[in-house]
Amino acid sequence: MTDSLKALIEACRKGEANYQDLVDRVPYARFLGIELLVQGEELTFILPRNENNIGNPTLPALHGGAVAGFMEQAAIIFILLEMGEPKVPKTIDFTIDYLRAGLFRDTFAECRITRLGRRIANVHISAWQKRREEPITIARAHFLLSEENN
Amino acid sequence: MDVCNRSLETVRHSRNLGMEVLSAEEDGVRVRLPWREDLVGNPDTGVLHGGAIFAMMDQAGGMANSCRLYPNFEITPTIDFRVDHLHAPTPGKAVICHASCYRLTPNVTFVRLTTWEEGEEEGEPVATGLATYTRMKLDKNGRVVS
Repeated sequence: MTDSLKALIEACRKGEANYQDLVDRVPYARFLGIELLVQGEELTFILPRNENNIGNPTLPALHGGAVAGFMEQAAIIFILLEMGEPKVPKTIDFTIDYLRAGLFRDTFAECRITRLGRRIANVHISAWQKRREEPITIARAHFLLSEENN
Repeated sequence: MDVCNRSLETVRHSRNLGMEVLSAEEDGVRVRLPWREDLVGNPDTGVLHGGAIFAMMDQAGGMANSCRLYPNFEITPTIDFRVDHLHAPTPGKAVICHASCYRLTPNVTFVRLTTWEEGEEEGEPVATGLATYTRMKLDKNGRVVS
């Protein structure tokens, strides 16, 4: 299983495959409609405005869970690309602060790895709509990278 | 419970996820999320995505507030939400979340959540959550007053 994922990541790095294929192999990422923008080595994740992700029909605003799921998936792909031996990270915990209403428009996210250990990755994720400096949500999450107990 | 199911109907994202309210009392609400192929997070294992579980728990937390505040109605935006994934749910099995508002202050509500595999509600939870919400009261025209 990991072989095909590893081959895909290597192909992405060599420019022989599209990074979007990494997103599209995950059914839930396709369900949300996540897209990816690669600029040099920088990754920006995009959750395009989509009626299926609405949580508050009157505002209208995005579902908090859709934004959280988008950020969690962004972190997973971000870590995968940082790992020497890619293996799908398992979410240990995910903590999110809602700072502003997620309006019915495109949402962007970027990730920062605080620490990438052998077993655990600590990641910070920030999502915005109008301007990067005005995040709508920030999140902190931990992922399990390896089950080897040594 | 009808109020919860009707309000859930209007939330398009939750409807798309296939969520359903199983029970709703003052001390808590139970919400079900089916296992579905398009909600899988790891195509190699078929395990439900953490984000889908999060979305269900977020929805359940909001409804736990509504239950505690019933028959009054307020808007309760989420301040902070934490989910711990204790173990992966079995592929093919639905999950059920119980959410309860255990403390209500004039401005803030505190909610605890536990998620199990369907049929395993006496056993080990798959996820636990803790959340806080702000209270925004509405006047009779549905406008926010505080």
